[in-house]
Amino acid sequence: MTYVGTTFAEVDPVNIDIKNTAVSEESSLIQDEYRRSVEHYLIPFSRQWSNSLIRFSMLRAEWEADTAHLSSVTEIAMHPAYQQIIGMGPIAIPLILSAMKKKPDHWFWALRSITGEDPILNENRGQIPQMTKAWLNWGVEQGYIV
Amino acid sequence: MSKEQIESLFPNLSGSVYSVASPQTAEYNCIAWAAGDHDKWWWPDQQNQYFWPPGIPRSEAVEAFTKAYESLGYTLREDAEYEDGFEKIAIYVDFAGKPTHAARQLNPVLWTSKLGKLEDIEHTLDALVGPQYGDVAAILRRPKPLL
Repeated sequence: MTYVGTTFAEVDPVNIDIKNTAVSEESSLIQDEYRRSVEHYLIPFSRQWSNSLIRFSMLRAEWEADTAHLSSVTEIAMHPAYQQIIGMGPIAIPLILSAMKKKPDHWFWALRSITGEDPILNENRGQIPQMTKAWLNWGVEQGYIV
Repeated sequence: MSKEQIESLFPNLSGSVYSVASPQTAEYNCIAWAAGDHDKWWWPDQQNQYFWPPGIPRSEAVEAFTKAYESLGYTLREDAEYEDGFEKIAIYVDFAGKPTHAARQLNPVLWTSKLGKLEDIEHTLDALVGPQYGDVAAILRRPKPLL
């Protein structure tokens, strides 16, 4: 059988001109959307969580390095990496609780922003060990910490 | 944090008289440390998570910080010179006038500072002036408490 048109050997795989192929721009878009849907629905939750852990760890390291010398809680919490952790939403809650269990840190704004909760007693405001304990107890009550 | 890392954050420390005086801790910050409190993090944050003296506006304006120290018996002064029988606090602000840091005077040369959740250091007042903490905007003093 003879095929008419561009042979495989003649195609530069890096610079394919889509107009000269049989794939239209529309079908290319559909392919991209299909790939995204498959990733969204078929990748196991455990792998999604694992990706979140990596993302959280990288953002946390960046945030810690950039804000360790700051006193301003506003500056600490408005750091772009911290804001991205808040943007991860509820999936970040067990990651934050696990991090603060190992090493207390300024996770209170993030937890309050994500959960809408505030388990810290007024008399404990500013006392990092007591604030941390309040959130860890909340994590146990909510089933985030076994 | 090593001295090299501290100096990279605060370049004016290089070549000045300073020393690291404590291990790192996140349990208190510079605002608390200047006030003599070493078990709370003071900040007038809008989420009301951190300690701020009762009755003082929760505002990130230098006036709110001076009011916080005035509630401990400090009064505003013009100069940072050492005076026998008094202790002084300096408030640093950034280019926008927002407080970033506070230091407490120890003697005619040195001040003590807690660097965020890093170490306490003893340093000259100007050594922390720079891009991180900005400049000194207010000085307060009170009689030294009797021991």
